[in-house]
Amino acid sequence: METILKENSIKAKLIAEYESSKKSLFGSLLIRDNAIENFSRLGIPQRKSEEYKYVNMELALKGDYSFETNASLTSKQIDHTQFLKNAIVVVIENGVFSKDVSKISNLPQGIKISSISDASSDKIFETHFSKYADVVNDPFAALNTALSKGGVYIHVSNGAIIETPIHIIHVSSANKNLIINPRNLVVIESASQVKIIESFETVDAKSKVFNNALTEIVVEENAIVDHYKIQNENDLGYLLSTTVITQKKQSVFSTNTIILSGSLVRNNLTIVLDGEFIESHLNGLYLTNGSQVVDNHTLVDHRKPNCNSNELYKGIIEDKSAATFNGKIFVRKDAQKTNAFQSNKNILLSDDGTINTKPQLEIYADDVKCSHGTSTGKLDPDKIFYLRARGLSETSAKKLLMHAFASEVVDTIKIEELREYVEGEIAKRFE
Amino acid sequence: MANEILEEQISGEYKYGFVTDIDADNAPKGLNEEIIRFISSKKNEPEWMLDYRLKAFRYWLTLDEPHWAHVSYQKPDFQEIIYYSAPKPKVQLNSLDEVDPELLKTFEKLGISIEEQKRLSGVESRIAVDIVMDSVSVKTTFKETLSEKGIIFCSFGEAVQEHPELVKKYMSSVVPYTDNFYAALNSAVFTDGSFCYIPKGVRCPMELSTYFRINASGTGQFERTLIIADEDSYVSYLEGCTAPMRDENQLHAAVVEIVAHKNAEVKYSTVQNWYPGDKDGKGGIFNFVTKRGICLEDNSKISWTQVETGSAVTWKYPSVILKGDNSIGEFYSVAVTNNYQQADTGTKMMHLGKNTRSTIISKGISAGFSNNSYRGLVRIAKGASNARNFSQCDSLLMGDKCGAHTFPYIEIKDKSAVVEHEATTSKIGEDQLFYCKQRGIDNEKAIGLIVNGYCKEVLNKLPMEFAVEAQKLLAVSLEGSVG
Repeated sequence: METILKENSIKAKLIAEYESSKKSLFGSLLIRDNAIENFSRLGIPQRKSEEYKYVNMELALKGDYSFETNASLTSKQIDHTQFLKNAIVVVIENGVFSKDVSKISNLPQGIKISSISDASSDKIFETHFSKYADVVNDPFAALNTALSKGGVYIHVSNGAIIETPIHIIHVSSANKNLIINPRNLVVIESASQVKIIESFETVDAKSKVFNNALTEIVVEENAIVDHYKIQNENDLGYLLSTTVITQKKQSVFSTNTIILSGSLVRNNLTIVLDGEFIESHLNGLYLTNGSQVVDNHTLVDHRKPNCNSNELYKGIIEDKSAATFNGKIFVRKDAQKTNAFQSNKNILLSDDGTINTKPQLEIYADDVKCSHGTSTGKLDPDKIFYLRARGLSETSAKKLLMHAFASEVVDTIKIEELREYVEGEIAKRFE
Repeated sequence: MANEILEEQISGEYKYGFVTDIDADNAPKGLNEEIIRFISSKKNEPEWMLDYRLKAFRYWLTLDEPHWAHVSYQKPDFQEIIYYSAPKPKVQLNSLDEVDPELLKTFEKLGISIEEQKRLSGVESRIAVDIVMDSVSVKTTFKETLSEKGIIFCSFGEAVQEHPELVKKYMSSVVPYTDNFYAALNSAVFTDGSFCYIPKGVRCPMELSTYFRINASGTGQFERTLIIADEDSYVSYLEGCTAPMRDENQLHAAVVEIVAHKNAEVKYSTVQNWYPGDKDGKGGIFNFVTKRGICLEDNSKISWTQVETGSAVTWKYPSVILKGDNSIGEFYSVAVTNNYQQADTGTKMMHLGKNTRSTIISKGISAGFSNNSYRGLVRIAKGASNARNFSQCDSLLMGDKCGAHTFPYIEIKDKSAVVEHEATTSKIGEDQLFYCKQRGIDNEKAIGLIVNGYCKEVLNKLPMEFAVEAQKLLAVSLEGSVG
C-alpha cells in the first residue's frame, strides 16, 4: 500500500507540474496534452515491469524535486567539459539550450543549429518532431514530451559534409533536487555526413539531478552519421537517456555509448531500419563501480530487407555496482536477407557486483542470419599467468587485460581526439 | 515440391487422434471446494492431502493467469472443465487378463503393447510403464520385479495410500503450490500421476516410463509426478503423451518434481506429442506444465531431455536447482512447431552450490504460421563459486510466416562464475541442400538429413527407444518444409 502511495505522489507531482507550467512551454500543446495523458496512464514503471526489472526508477525519483531551470554557469566553469579542441559546441544546461556559452557562430555551410523552442514554427521541424519516440508505451518519452523546456534542434542539409564534430554537452548544476527533460531533434538530410557527440556532465552540483533526456535522430537516404555518447556525471547524476534513430535507405549510422560514471544510468536506444541496404553499428562500454546502477536497453528494428546491423556491448563491473544489458533484435516479416549480430561481454571483478543480461531475438522472416552471444566471467587466470611469467606484477597484468578488453569498443571511435580522451578517462579509472 | 510434401504432412492425420470408447467415471463440470472434496474422497485420501488441496485451491483463487509468455490463446474457462475422469471399471488389477480389452487395444494402437512387454520381460532393454489415462493411472507394469530391488514405482494415488511418509516429505518440496498459477491449480485438483522412489545405492535396472493419455472429452488432465533418487542411485525416466483430436482446446497442467540426493542421478526424457490442433489452428492441447528438479545434495545430477512436437500452446520450463556442491544440471531440447502451434519453452538453472555446472542446448524449429520461443534463466547466486554454464539456442525457420524468438535471462552475482550464451537463427542453408542434392540425395531426404544433424546433439541424449520415435516424429513434422 505504501509503495502505491509513493508512486502516486511522484506521478501526481509530475502531472501537477505540467498543469501549472504548460502555458509557458514551447511548441504544440496538443502533442504535450496527449503525452501527459499517456504518462498518467503508464505511470512510473515498477520493479514488476519487464522493462524496468533491474533498475528501481521509483527509488531514483524519491524525494522532493524542483523543476526550475536556470542557466548560470559561465564558460570558464564548463571549460573542462569541452574535451575537443575543434568542435561546434552546444551547451545544454539543466535541460535548456544555453546560447551564451555555446560556440555556434561561424557555422560551416549546410548546418543550422538553434534552440528547440525557437524551431517550433520551422516546417521541417514540424514534420519530424515527436514522430519517432514511442510516447504511447514509454512513460519517460511521454514525460519528456510533456515537460520539456528546451534542447537543441540541428539540421544538416542535403549533401553537406560537416568535418567539424558537433559536441552537445549536457551539464547539470543544481543546488536543489531537480528533474530536467532536455529534448533534441537532429535531422540529417540525404547524402550528408556528420559526427555528433553527446556528453553528460555534472558541474558544481550540490543536489541530485534526474535527467530525462530524449534525442530523436533522423538519418535520410545515403547519409553517414557517427554518433557518440559519453556519460560521465557524478554521484548526484541520475540519467535516463532515450535515443531514437530512424534510418532511411542506404544510410550508415554508428553509435558508441561510453558510460564512465553516474549514480544511475539508463539508456534506451532504439534504431529503426526503415529502408533497404542500411548499415547500423551499435557499440557500448560500461565501467561501473561503487554502488552504480547501469542499464542499457537497445532495440534494433529491422523493417526492410537487405540490411546489416552489428552490436557489441562490453562491461567491467566492480564493487557493489550492477549492470544490465537488454538488447533486442527484431526482424519483421518483410526484412528478408537481414544480417543482425549482437554480442555482450562482461567481466565481474567483485563478489558484490551483479550482471544481468538478456540478449533477445524476435524473428519473423526466414531468410536471415541472426545471432547473439553473451559471456560473463573473470579475468582469465591463464592470461594473467602468461603476463606474470614475463615479469609483470599482478596489478599491472590485470590492468593490461582490462585495457585490452575495453579497447575492442574504444577502437571503434573514429574521432582521434575523442578516442584519446576516452582512453585517458579509462586509464584514470584503472589506476 | 516442398509444398506438396508440406501439404501431405499438414493434411496427414494425427496418428493418435482416436477416441477409445470406455466407460468413464466423470465428475460434474466446474471447479469449487465441493469438486476437490469429491476428487479427494474418490481417491480415498487422508485428511492432510485434502487440506493441502484446499490450501492450494484457496491460494489459486487469489491468482491471475500469467501473461508474460510469448503466446496468445483463448483463456480456458476453468468452470467448463471436468476435473475428474476415470476409466471404469476401476478395480485393482493383478493380471493383464483382467484389463478391459478396449483399453488394451488402445495401448496397442499407441504402440505400447503390454502383452509384448510381458513376453519380452527377459530381454535387457525393457521398460516398466505406468499408464495414466485421463489423469488416472490404469496400469503399472513390472511392479513386482522392481519391488525386489526396493524400488517403488506406482501411481501417485497408490503412493499416497501406501507410502504417505515419502509423499508427505517430498511432495511440494520442489514446486510449492504457491509457485505459479497452474502449479496451484494442479495442487488443488490433481487426480493421479506417477510416483517413483529409488532407494540408496540402487541403480534402476530398467527405464521407467509413464504414458499419459487424454481420452474423455471436456476434461482437463492434471497429473503429478514425483521422483526421488536417494543417495548413490540412478534412474532413467521416460514420459510420453497423446490425446484424441477434438475441436475444443483441452487443458493439461501437470507438475513434475524430482529430488536427487547425494551422488544420485536422474535422467528425465519426454516426447511430448499431444494433439497440436488441425491445420487451421483449431483445437489442440494447452500444455502448461511446471517441471523442476532439485540437486539437493553434493555430486547429484539431473538431466532433462525433451522433444516437443505436439500441443497447440506449450508453456514449459523444466528447471534445475543446483543446491548441492558439484551438482550438475542439463537441459536438452528440440521444439518443433508447425501450422498455428505456439511454444514458449526453455529452462531455468539456479546455481546455489559451489562448483555447480549446467549445460543448455535448445534447438527450435518453426514452420507454417507457428511461433517458437526459447525463454531461459541462468542465475548464479552470490557464493556459488566456480559455477559454470554454457547455453546454446539455435532456431531454424521454415517459411516466412513463422517466428523464432530467443529470450534468455542471465543474472550473475558471483565473480568466479563463467557463463556463456550463444544463439543463432537461420534457415537451412542453400549450400547444404545443394551439397546433398549434388550427391543424388533428393530434396526431402536432404532436409531430413540436415534437420536430424541439426538436432543430433539433443537426440543423442535420448534413450534408444525414444530416440527412434523422436526421429520419426521429426521427419513427419518437417519433411519438405523448405525448398
